[in-house]
Amino acid sequence: MHLIVTLDEQGGMLFNHRRQSRDRVLTADLLRTVGNARLVVSPYTAKLFADIADASSLVVAADPLAAAGEGDFCFLEENSPGESMRKVSTLILYRWNRHYPADVFFDADLREFTLTQTEELEGFSHKIITKEVYQR
Amino acid sequence: MKRKSILQHAGVWLHLLLLSLCLSLSSCLSFSVPGQNGQNPPPAVTDPSETDPAEIDPSSPDFVLIDLPTYVGSAYVVLNNNVPVFSPEELTTEGYEFYSPLDALGRCGTVIASVGRETMPAEDEDRGNISSVKPTGWVQASYDSMGGQPLYNRAHLIGWQLTAENANERNLVTGTRYLNVQGMLPFEDMVADYVKETGNHVAYRVTPIFEGNNLVCSGVQMEGFSVEDNGEGICFNVYCFNVQPGIIIDYATGVSSEGGEKPVDPEAETNADGEVIHDYVLNTNSKRFHYPNCSSVGQMKETNKQPYTGSREDLIDQGYQPCGSCNP
Repeated sequence: MHLIVTLDEQGGMLFNHRRQSRDRVLTADLLRTVGNARLVVSPYTAKLFADIADASSLVVAADPLAAAGEGDFCFLEENSPGESMRKVSTLILYRWNRHYPADVFFDADLREFTLTQTEELEGFSHKIITKEVYQR
Repeated sequence: MKRKSILQHAGVWLHLLLLSLCLSLSSCLSFSVPGQNGQNPPPAVTDPSETDPAEIDPSSPDFVLIDLPTYVGSAYVVLNNNVPVFSPEELTTEGYEFYSPLDALGRCGTVIASVGRETMPAEDEDRGNISSVKPTGWVQASYDSMGGQPLYNRAHLIGWQLTAENANERNLVTGTRYLNVQGMLPFEDMVADYVKETGNHVAYRVTPIFEGNNLVCSGVQMEGFSVEDNGEGICFNVYCFNVQPGIIIDYATGVSSEGGEKPVDPEAETNADGEVIHDYVLNTNSKRFHYPNCSSVGQMKETNKQPYTGSREDLIDQGYQPCGSCNP
C-alpha cells in the first residue's frame, strides 16, 4: 500500500476532527501521483474530491487503511496509521510548512523507510508545500 | 484592496454592547463572554471535542468563561468542547468586521468579523507600519533567553491576513511573541487557508481577557465557525495564553523580568540535580513526551501510552522529544 499523509510543522494531522488545511495544488498533485491506481479514502476525505471530475479512481471506505490493498493508494487524514504502517511500502508526506492547531499527530516510526524523493510545490494558499516520498 | 463593510447588523451591535457591559462589570477574577442568553456556566475548560460536525449549533448552547485556564505548557486550551458561540446575525455570508471602542483605560475589547476573501488583503498588498500604535502595557524588553528578540509584539486580535488591518488601535494588544506565534497564528493561518481555498466565510471573534485593571491581557479567547458549510471546515473555541516561557510579566503594568513563568505547577518538585519533576505521558512509539493534559494524549493508542514521573532532562537523555504542541 502507498500511504499519503499531510502534516504541519509539528507533525499534526487534524484539529477538532477537521483537516488542518487544504490546497488545490496538493489535491491535483495527489491525483496525478495516484494515476490510474485505486485511491482509498474515508467518507470525510472523499468530500475533498467532490468537485473534481477526474477522481474516478476514488474508493470510499469507513476504514481506508483496512480497505487498501497492495498497489492501492490510501490518503489518510483522520488518524495516524499505527500498526497498519506494516502494510505500507511507500509513504508520501506532504508538508504544509506551517504550524496549525493539532490534536491528532502522525506518530509512525520512519526508521524502516528511506527518503527517495523531495519536491517543492508552489501551492494556491501555501507558499511552498514539500512533498517527500519514502520507500521501505 | 479589501472591500470593507463595517458591521451594521443591529443584533450584532446589541450583542457587542452587552459584551462590553459584562466585561466592564466583571470582577477581578471572573470574566464574562456571554452568548445570547448571558447565563449558564458550563465547564470552562474541556478536552478536545468529540463533537460530530453535524451536531454543532453555534448559536446554542451558551457558554461563559468563568475562570481563566491555568497555563501548564500548551499555548492554548480548548473551551466549551471547541464549540464557539455566535448569534444567528453573526453567522453571515457577507464580509464585515467590527472593532470595539477602547475602554476607559485605553484597552481593546472584543473584535468580530465575518472573514471572507473580500476582507482579506489583496495578493500584492504589503503589511503597513503599525509602530505608531502603543497598546496598553507596552513596556518593551528583550531577553537573552529569547535570542535577544523583543518580548512583546503588537498582536493583532484579528490577524492581518484575515482583515488587512494595520495601525488600528482597536485591534492591537500587547502580546508576547509566544502568544502571537505559538498561540494565535496557527488559528489565523488555518482560517486564512480555508477561506482562500473555498471562498466561504468564517465567523471569527477574538476577545482579550484583562484581569481587573491590568493593562496587559492574560490571554485571548478565539472563536471561529465556517458559515456556508455549518462548521464542517472550521470550528473552534480556544483560549490562548499571553505568556512567555521563562519570563515573568506584571500584567498590571507590562513590566517584565527574566526567570519565571515556566508552566505553572504548584505541586512540582525537584530532584537532587535541581531538575523539576513533573508528570508526563510518553508515546513509546513516536518517542515524544507530553503533559498529561495535552490534547494529543487522548488520541494516543493505549499500547503506546506510558505515564512517567521525572525530569524532562532525563527523558531527553532517553531519546524522547518534547511534544510540539504542549511544549513540555
